[in-house]
Amino acid sequence: MNTAADVTVRPTAKGQVGDPFSSPWRRRLPLLPALLFMILVTQLPFLVSIYYSLTNLKDKTQSLIPEPTKFVGIENYRAIFNDPFFRQAMWTSVQMTVFAVVLSVFFGTLFAILLDRRFFGQGVIRTLLITPFLLMPVVAALIWKQQMFSSLFGILDKVLNFLGFSSVAFISDHPLASIVTVLVWQWTPFMMLIMLAGLQSQPSDILEAAGVDGATPLGIFRQLTLPHLRRYLELGALLGSIYIVQAFDAIDVMTGGGPGSTNVPYFVYEESIGGGFRYGSASAYAIVVVIFSIIIATLALRLLSGLLKDEERA
Amino acid sequence: MIGRARRGSRLGVGESRAAIIALGIAAWVVGMLWIFPVGWTLLTSFKTEQDASAQTLHNGLTFARYSDVSHSTTGTLSLSAAFTNSLVVVVVSTVIVMLLALPAAYALAIHPVPKWRDVLFFFISTKFLPIVASIFPIYVYAEKWNLIGTRTILIVLYIAINLPLAIWMMRSFFVEVPRELIEASEIDGTSLFNQLRSVILPIAAPGIAATALLCVIFAWNEYFYAIQLNFAGASTMPQWVIGNVSTRGNFLAKLSAASIIACLPVVLAGWAAQKRMIRGLSLGAIK
Amino acid sequence: MKVLVGILVMGLIAVASLAATAIGSTKAKTISVAIVANGQMQDIAKLTPSLFTKKSGIKVKYTILDEGKLRQVTTRDVGSGGKAFDVVMIGPYEAPQFGVAGLLKDLMPMAKSDQAYNYNDLIPAVRNALSAKGHLYAAPFYGESSFLMYRKDILATKGVKMPLHPTWQQVAAAARKIKTSSMAGICLRGKPGWGDLGAAFTTVLNTFGGTWWSAKPNGQPDKAQVDQPAFKAALDFYAKLVQDAGEKDAANSSFNECLTQYQAGKVAMWYDATVAAGTLEASDSPVKGKNGYAFAPVNKTKSSGWLWSWALAIPKSSPDPSDAWKYIAFATGKQYLRAAGPLVKGGWASIPPGTRVSTYQIPQYKKAAKAFAAITLAAMKAAPITNPGTTKRPGLPGVQYVGIPQFQDVGNRCTQLFSRVIAGSAKASDALSQCQSIASKAIK
Repeated sequence: MNTAADVTVRPTAKGQVGDPFSSPWRRRLPLLPALLFMILVTQLPFLVSIYYSLTNLKDKTQSLIPEPTKFVGIENYRAIFNDPFFRQAMWTSVQMTVFAVVLSVFFGTLFAILLDRRFFGQGVIRTLLITPFLLMPVVAALIWKQQMFSSLFGILDKVLNFLGFSSVAFISDHPLASIVTVLVWQWTPFMMLIMLAGLQSQPSDILEAAGVDGATPLGIFRQLTLPHLRRYLELGALLGSIYIVQAFDAIDVMTGGGPGSTNVPYFVYEESIGGGFRYGSASAYAIVVVIFSIIIATLALRLLSGLLKDEERA
Repeated sequence: MIGRARRGSRLGVGESRAAIIALGIAAWVVGMLWIFPVGWTLLTSFKTEQDASAQTLHNGLTFARYSDVSHSTTGTLSLSAAFTNSLVVVVVSTVIVMLLALPAAYALAIHPVPKWRDVLFFFISTKFLPIVASIFPIYVYAEKWNLIGTRTILIVLYIAINLPLAIWMMRSFFVEVPRELIEASEIDGTSLFNQLRSVILPIAAPGIAATALLCVIFAWNEYFYAIQLNFAGASTMPQWVIGNVSTRGNFLAKLSAASIIACLPVVLAGWAAQKRMIRGLSLGAIK
Repeated sequence: MKVLVGILVMGLIAVASLAATAIGSTKAKTISVAIVANGQMQDIAKLTPSLFTKKSGIKVKYTILDEGKLRQVTTRDVGSGGKAFDVVMIGPYEAPQFGVAGLLKDLMPMAKSDQAYNYNDLIPAVRNALSAKGHLYAAPFYGESSFLMYRKDILATKGVKMPLHPTWQQVAAAARKIKTSSMAGICLRGKPGWGDLGAAFTTVLNTFGGTWWSAKPNGQPDKAQVDQPAFKAALDFYAKLVQDAGEKDAANSSFNECLTQYQAGKVAMWYDATVAAGTLEASDSPVKGKNGYAFAPVNKTKSSGWLWSWALAIPKSSPDPSDAWKYIAFATGKQYLRAAGPLVKGGWASIPPGTRVSTYQIPQYKKAAKAFAAITLAAMKAAPITNPGTTKRPGLPGVQYVGIPQFQDVGNRCTQLFSRVIAGSAKASDALSQCQSIASKAIK
């Protein structure tokens, strides 16, 4: 713990790190630019959204006779509770996020284990495996939509027919599964990188010692590796969830919405600039979503140990 | 870095040569299957439109689709314009993100402010508001300030998108710097700049590179803000790719070529930096 | 330190030179135009520098978007008084609504005073559809109706005759008779979207005696009519026909997919926009010369073809309205049509159709479009825009849509549900009741 007594007092010149850090403002100063920027750019729209959510703001094109925007209080919020389509969108969001995160963590871990040892062409395979994560989400969605899933142009259809099966309309009949497929395809490499980091940060002397003691590879994996990987799994799941819950591009490109593929972001989009142009109502939905997310995230962070742990630095 | 160099080549305890080879083959199979959609798209980009639509190969392979999409008529979005816009937006936003995130991470890791956990949570919570919800207020103000169709609005928004992640990651890399080194440098009375340069940055360098790469990836590939705020003006690569989807007529080969072109820069960057990313992540994204 | 100063200096020089070039280049006038990504639009984008910019000195910056995105962007821009565009491409759904709401410039004075423009040459059905209260709010770039296209040769081998004014029952029977395992009988749109499945389905709905909303005497929507028997009959008929004799993966098929399949010989008939004929009879089309054309099939009404036009409008908030009009006069004028014929990829058959009476008198066009020109013109004239069905409609005129602002959203959401019915993964009764609640809520 830094106390003033530990440090020899020197004349404080500009930029000198000595005594000054006992002053709380010197500690805060480096944080301020980032903090101010984020507050300005994210909180202002958020506040404006709260304001809109209390009105019946609509696009001017939505009424033939000009309708003045008026304050409607919590009317928009009340309507949300009676909205079965919003509930459906939330359920779709939950399913989409859980499936995509769990599957990509699973495959990511699997691939990381495969890649953790040297073999001929290890670098090449690792390079190939991370590529889907580097693609534009719209490109990934287009590739799967046109080249893989399409009954007209897609290769999967040809393969199915070749093997004697009848065609499957992947996207039309299985919208959620199609979108989850693309999400998993793109995010598995990300998880794989995290898990590789985890696997490679294992202290190898402990592993060797265990081996010398007569443990099987499976035993080592279960007793030593998995616990070590737990924090990496949690990090991957957390980061992945934050991004996957906002998934938008794939839905826009592949299905254009509809039951089974409209998640909450897409639902809010459809309510606002995606066709509904009901900005007041859409803002109310968005605020509800933010509240939900904060609750869930607070719970999640409390459950996940060690992610914000920092004993020595209080 | 502990025994990392030896890790890949030693036989794991109890693993036989055959198991190693089998796992190697399994890795190859998995790799080939996983990359198949991309490989197929690459192949399609060299076909004629007729072959592309029918998945045949009667007319041979050609680069013609690439030149088709690279040509543009005056007045429509050209590849060079989109590329320049993307490049400027991505580079400027990433540089600014790093310039903001480094001191912020310092303030959260090396000499943490009280309540640093809350601050970190605040940054992450900014990602909870779906960007589709904030688009209308942002549009209204961007319109007021004449920012629609400029690179500036995208730069500002991409900074806001990437900053939370950058701060989170950089903080966990800074936390890895051994306490003793920090204290030692402070006792010596090194200036802040030197402390950063000689103590913190060398240790956190791979992490910084990993963070910057992630910011570049997310900014280059961003689609929603680009298409909602930048029609008419400083359109970026995702918009250029989508422009090759025609509602009438066959377009699959051209779209494939455009996709390959658009994704290539970030893919190459990712390939070059993958080792650094893994090292950066292993050094402590986890604290 | 020195390095930093050096970088700073270089940066300043760079910024200064950039600023200098920027100042220099604002001399040329530039207008911003938003258009949809169709073939004819891309043709004019290619030809604008040589045919327009050279003569007028006005540069045109195009933003080309697909239909859905274009609508979102133009609606938001026009509705918020945005200055991003000088000219926007809209249709007879938006033009009267935006015009009545005071968001578009009235083009009538400029169109009528410009002799060379020849306002009276514009096909009356189209220009009326783009007007409201006597003001022209958008100038037509192309116009279309809908009709039935079929492979004469395939129908002949199966002994099926297609009358010129068929009924839906006749068409359905023919489709079921001529289908084989490798070729569908008919291609019908199934992709969600009020302009995709919505357009085709609404024409069927109209002629089956159904409607989306009933109308109050003052033209406002009264009650949602999705729960009525006529609506169910129309949806059942449409879905069943597609399932029995329609194309593969119908829920993903719109104009482009059906065009591809028709040209590849995977479907024998196709009900869609008249503008498709231009591509089918183009010089490089694999089915050129093999096609027969019939009026849009009917049931309880005399005609059912839709009426659509992609037209150019000037938002009230446009930064440069006078140059915007110069561009519109070029793009929708007679000269462009004559100049484009020899220059565009598909030849004379693929110049923008359905806007001017004089187009149909150009000899080269008459020759190239012989198979479909007359029926296209007749279909557009016959489109029952003011009374498309058997009951009064609310809102502004329209065939394949309802002329109220809420229709866009209701149409999108309901067609998402109907598309699932067509795919066979949802029950019609569920879809209809969900749609009824959407439609009712929208007009509250």
